[in-house]
Amino acid sequence: MPDSRTLRLQRAMASLVLDEDEAALEADPGRVARRQGLSWADQCSFREQGAGMMTYRELARMSLVEPLETMFPVLKALLVEADTWNACIQAFLEARVVKSGHYRDIAPAFLGWLAASGWGQDRWPFLLELAHAEMLEVVVARFPDSDPPMGLHADPGPEDLLVLDAATQIVSYSHAVHRVTEAAPFPEARPTHLMAFRTEGGEARLMELTPATAALLVRAQTGPLGEVASSLNLPDLGPIFTLLRDFYRKGAIAGFQTSS
Amino acid sequence: MTQDRFTGVGLGLRRAHLEPVSQMEGHGVPFWETCPENVVGDGGRHHRLACAILDRDPVLTHGLTLSVGGFDPWDEAYIRDLGRFLLRTGTPWHSEHLCFTGVDANCLHELLPLPFTREAVRHTVSRVRELQAQLPVPLLLENITYYAELGASDMEEADFIAAVLEGANVGWLLDVNNVYVNALNFGFDPREWLARMPLDRVAQLHIAGHQAFGELTVDTHGAEVIDPVVELMQWTLARLGRPVPVLLERDNHIPDFDVLLAERARLQLAYEATMTLVEAHHA
Ligand SMILES: [Fe+2]
Repeated sequence: MPDSRTLRLQRAMASLVLDEDEAALEADPGRVARRQGLSWADQCSFREQGAGMMTYRELARMSLVEPLETMFPVLKALLVEADTWNACIQAFLEARVVKSGHYRDIAPAFLGWLAASGWGQDRWPFLLELAHAEMLEVVVARFPDSDPPMGLHADPGPEDLLVLDAATQIVSYSHAVHRVTEAAPFPEARPTHLMAFRTEGGEARLMELTPATAALLVRAQTGPLGEVASSLNLPDLGPIFTLLRDFYRKGAIAGFQTSS
Repeated sequence: MTQDRFTGVGLGLRRAHLEPVSQMEGHGVPFWETCPENVVGDGGRHHRLACAILDRDPVLTHGLTLSVGGFDPWDEAYIRDLGRFLLRTGTPWHSEHLCFTGVDANCLHELLPLPFTREAVRHTVSRVRELQAQLPVPLLLENITYYAELGASDMEEADFIAAVLEGANVGWLLDVNNVYVNALNFGFDPREWLARMPLDRVAQLHIAGHQAFGELTVDTHGAEVIDPVVELMQWTLARLGRPVPVLLERDNHIPDFDVLLAERARLQLAYEATMTLVEAHHA
């Protein structure tokens, strides 16, 4: 069945909002209708209402770009400085990757597109890490609430596995992307390990970890704490357990589980 | 009775106000309107505050991105979650916009106008019926502001809206500010426009502020409601002759909660003045 006129009109509107280069559109708003094979009458309608059509372009773009400006202020500052922010946004919009009807999913869609397309990363090898770090705390803060897993205890033992809180994320970057600001958006190149977690009150916190602690937190989710610690050359479990109890109190660790 | 909880002027529940609202039971707001897209599947501190308020106070729900006039397959998982959420809030109905918001599985996050054509009426009616069949409460459709007609029309906006409401047999969330803004932009009389509409289908009103940008007036929800729109609300309520709930929308330049409460109180007075006249007329 050929696509209906209603669908082609909607596609023309989407193209008008997302695709066209603005100058060409200003010159002839009817071209998006023509490209969808719409009738002369429909093309004329787009032309006659050029101003209203351009308002839709402005409004819809604002809806899609505002959450990116809020979520990625440092990334934006960097790209504005290099005069490439608009090109980045245009490439993102044309890729049509915003699938979800949840407004909060627009920024993650942008991050996913950045990862998949590699956009700008030849020039700025840290760009993806920077965007990831800018979003990290928000993702953790808004992670869907769920009941904690059953059967965990509060005190770690050498045979135990550790269970992170569902919202907690351990990330490793090759740049210190958590230290950048809008005024100084270029991160130093050095391995950086972070833990982002949510407090009992539901607020996100960021904590820098040593490489060994980061490795321990990742590996002790699948191997007994004692074994993992000794494989990391951390023979003294006392200070490790003190640290883990502290992470448990802060809400980053959900608890400990006897390994079977 | 459920419906009795929903009279007077309510407010949209905004993230910026969650803190004061959660700590305040005597706020005087008869009900809140909430967008499920912003609550379902969310988590964390703001989410918990929002849920506590929604569990405590009367709630109406208002969706943004189901794209009732679109062509994309329904997001069945979301619609299931939405249904559960609607039941949890106890809302007597769920409203959506008479528009499309996505094409080819891409969400544009904007309320885009449907063509005013018989084909679009047929398509939208069948979509609305499909959606209604999946929801646990009655669906209302809201008339939107539009800044351009999508393609060559074969009917007027009023006929398009009426045909969809009647064809799908659903209620109407009548946004009087949208009628007012469209009347400014397209040069018609809002009262004449309303007088020819199926007002018996109206279950709720929206009222909001707007802003002029040159020739064009935009439904920004970012300013105070102006007197002519308040008067249009009163005219509509009098015409309806029954106390449907009115919701004050404010989504941009959101003021402090007490400023919004003051505006709500002003609208509530206008609402009550009209309802007093209506009752006197019926007596
Ligand atoms: Fe509205």
